[in-house]
Amino acid sequence: MSQSDSAEATAFSSTTPTPSHQTKSVAATPDDAPKSRVRKRSDAPFFIVMSGISATFILLIVLLLVADLRFTSLSDFRDALSKPEIIAATRLTITSCSVAAILSLWVAVPLGYLLSRYRFPLRWLIDTIVDIPIVLPPLVLGLSLLILFHQPIGDWQLERFLGDRGFSVTYRWPAVVLAQFSVACAFAVRTMRVTFDQIDPRTEDVARTLGCTRGQAFLTVTLPQARRGMIAATTIAWARSLGEFGPILVFAGATRMRTEVLSTTVFLELSVGELDSAVAVSLLMVAMAIVVLLILRLLGTGLNT
Amino acid sequence: MNRTLIWIAASFFALIGLVYAMSRPGGSTVPRQPKLNADGSEASIMLFCAASNRAVMEAIKERYEDECGTRVDIQYGPSQTLLSSIEVAGQGDLFLPADDSYLAMAEEKGFVAETIPIAKMRAVVAVAKGNPKGIKSLADLKRDDVRLVLANPETAAIGKVTKDVLSAQSKWSDLEASTVAVRATVNEVVSDIAIGAADAGIVYDAVLHTFEDVDQVVIDDLKEASSTIALGVVKSTEQPTTALHFARYVTAQDRGLELYEQYGFGVEGGDQWAETPELSVFAGSMLRPAIEDTIREFEEREGVKVNRVYNGCGILVAQMKAGQKPDAYFACDLEFMNQVHDLFPEPVSVSNNELVILVQRGNPKNIRSLKDLSREGLRVGIGHEKQCAMGWITQNTFREGGVQQEIMPNVTVQTPTGDMLVNQLQTGSLDAAVAYLSNAAGAADFLDAIRIEGIECSTAIQPWAVAKESPYPQLASRLFERICSVESQDTFKSEGFSWQLEPAGR
Repeated sequence: MSQSDSAEATAFSSTTPTPSHQTKSVAATPDDAPKSRVRKRSDAPFFIVMSGISATFILLIVLLLVADLRFTSLSDFRDALSKPEIIAATRLTITSCSVAAILSLWVAVPLGYLLSRYRFPLRWLIDTIVDIPIVLPPLVLGLSLLILFHQPIGDWQLERFLGDRGFSVTYRWPAVVLAQFSVACAFAVRTMRVTFDQIDPRTEDVARTLGCTRGQAFLTVTLPQARRGMIAATTIAWARSLGEFGPILVFAGATRMRTEVLSTTVFLELSVGELDSAVAVSLLMVAMAIVVLLILRLLGTGLNT
Repeated sequence: MNRTLIWIAASFFALIGLVYAMSRPGGSTVPRQPKLNADGSEASIMLFCAASNRAVMEAIKERYEDECGTRVDIQYGPSQTLLSSIEVAGQGDLFLPADDSYLAMAEEKGFVAETIPIAKMRAVVAVAKGNPKGIKSLADLKRDDVRLVLANPETAAIGKVTKDVLSAQSKWSDLEASTVAVRATVNEVVSDIAIGAADAGIVYDAVLHTFEDVDQVVIDDLKEASSTIALGVVKSTEQPTTALHFARYVTAQDRGLELYEQYGFGVEGGDQWAETPELSVFAGSMLRPAIEDTIREFEEREGVKVNRVYNGCGILVAQMKAGQKPDAYFACDLEFMNQVHDLFPEPVSVSNNELVILVQRGNPKNIRSLKDLSREGLRVGIGHEKQCAMGWITQNTFREGGVQQEIMPNVTVQTPTGDMLVNQLQTGSLDAAVAYLSNAAGAADFLDAIRIEGIECSTAIQPWAVAKESPYPQLASRLFERICSVESQDTFKSEGFSWQLEPAGR
């Protein structure tokens, strides 16, 4: 599972088109014109097969969306979006996902960097621990969080300790963020690790011979190079948080106007048989995800200049 | 370098801003006139509610908050998940699972104190609108052109109920063999039919209410298949009175149940709603020491008033015949329950109490048996035959022992209650009295009790019953549950009663 996910992560980080100067080298020169004709003929099947296989997946997703759109009507959509609960859930979803994504990035950059650059004892163990949230069934993760916060240690309990200081977690918004973060961060770490793996450490070494400290070298040389990976990590973390639902349901509950995020809205609408409403909210989530992905993509390309 | 730092700072401030936006309470539903706890904080209760009850629960919550001012926070989710949450977090005041099988589970684990029934769900066959496949019977479900989906008996109550009922008629295995799919929840089954992925499925009728393009077919074979929805009070709640207040609201026939009915659930019974219900209980005075403390605790926990009237059962019966209508009646003997059988159709025998001869401590008159009571010059007190069960049983016992003619001349006093006889013995105005063993329980320092041997009818059996016309049958039955609790049984025993009622498996 984690294998394919890191593959997904790399796919994310290499979505920008390759610069044009690389493709130029393939262009035929007049010297080998007959050869190029042969190549052109032999290229056609290649593109047909490649695009054919790709198209099946794209088509599947498009068809899913079309089916959803046909299932709901515009009025359903409008009804769903005018409910104050759903507006509140949308707000909470956007903010909690963003917080979870930013936090994940903050943790993922140092952790990914250490895992990628340094060989230290028990590194394999750390590597495995980071993957646990990815393989753990979501409901179990929520239950584990619940157990953690309510485990009595003597007569001390984390939830009560925080609650007495006016910061209750369980069944409140911090629980939502924590549930999203614990899964999203694992994916972000994977992505960042792959990113740092692909950055040549020699640039850092050069910077250090020129008088930089390790910290300066990291900030000035490595981080700017890891920009695209960071955007990808944030994107993945945000998208994971958006879809997260099992742990939130168990750990934060689904109180309307308080801890209900859109993914739990979908579940709740389904469980009372409001299929129309559930599909409308799902489409809303798709729309939100597209907007956020586009914003992040723009940020990524904006940083390139 | 600077740019990187700017980005780090920017993400930090963005984080702060987002957290601030989240921590501000959204436009949450706040009751118009919030009720406050004693310490000035806003009163609120937490309900763990099965997602299937969400629509109706939201409506009830809104009405309750408007009417009573206590905020209700509701956690929705799958029943099993909610149960785990209660187990782990130990939070929450009330638990409303999709059906009572989960409450039974919670009771087994000892998480639930009271349970109050809400509605009944019947098993029906769900079909597409207009029943295009013409499904009318169980046989139709097995047809080759009917795609049948069922809920899993392991994970869904409807599956289990269906399996149990049909297995008893040996029709289950055939039906199971003809399914195209088994789904985990009842909702998945209905969704399949709504989307058109299946033609028929067995589901609860209440679930179909929100599905516009699904119809139901009632099948005779499934007549017995039904589940109850009930509301449980979580044992670890720190505010049972507030929780029970809301529980009473949800289960009141003119409040919560009204809405349940609107949302397609089959409801029956239920108490009338009252902010502070007043339950009237008539009880034979012999029972007072055995039940008084239990009733007081019940009042405190429930936040209700129980008006109890203790008196000789004959007097109580006369009052009822004169038109008084208590909600519940705890009689000293079956005879005095039978006399008002039309008001109390279903009595339950709870305890028994034997008749004994009470004498001064040390038995100075050396009384050994009933026969001795006929001795010249003895002053004997007994219960009044018409006014109380004790008197009536005493006369029966005398007759049975063949000593009625001899003893009656010695009887100087007949009282409506045994307590009075005990008092008179204490003051020395009587030498002996025929009363219940329980009357002597509090006076063991100055009285001795002599058993009456060999006469069967000298034992009184105390039945409890709830009035047919009581507006609070549920509340009364909860009080009875408390009376049947282990602690209460111990009280009965220490007061000289023997417990008779077998614990009923609910």
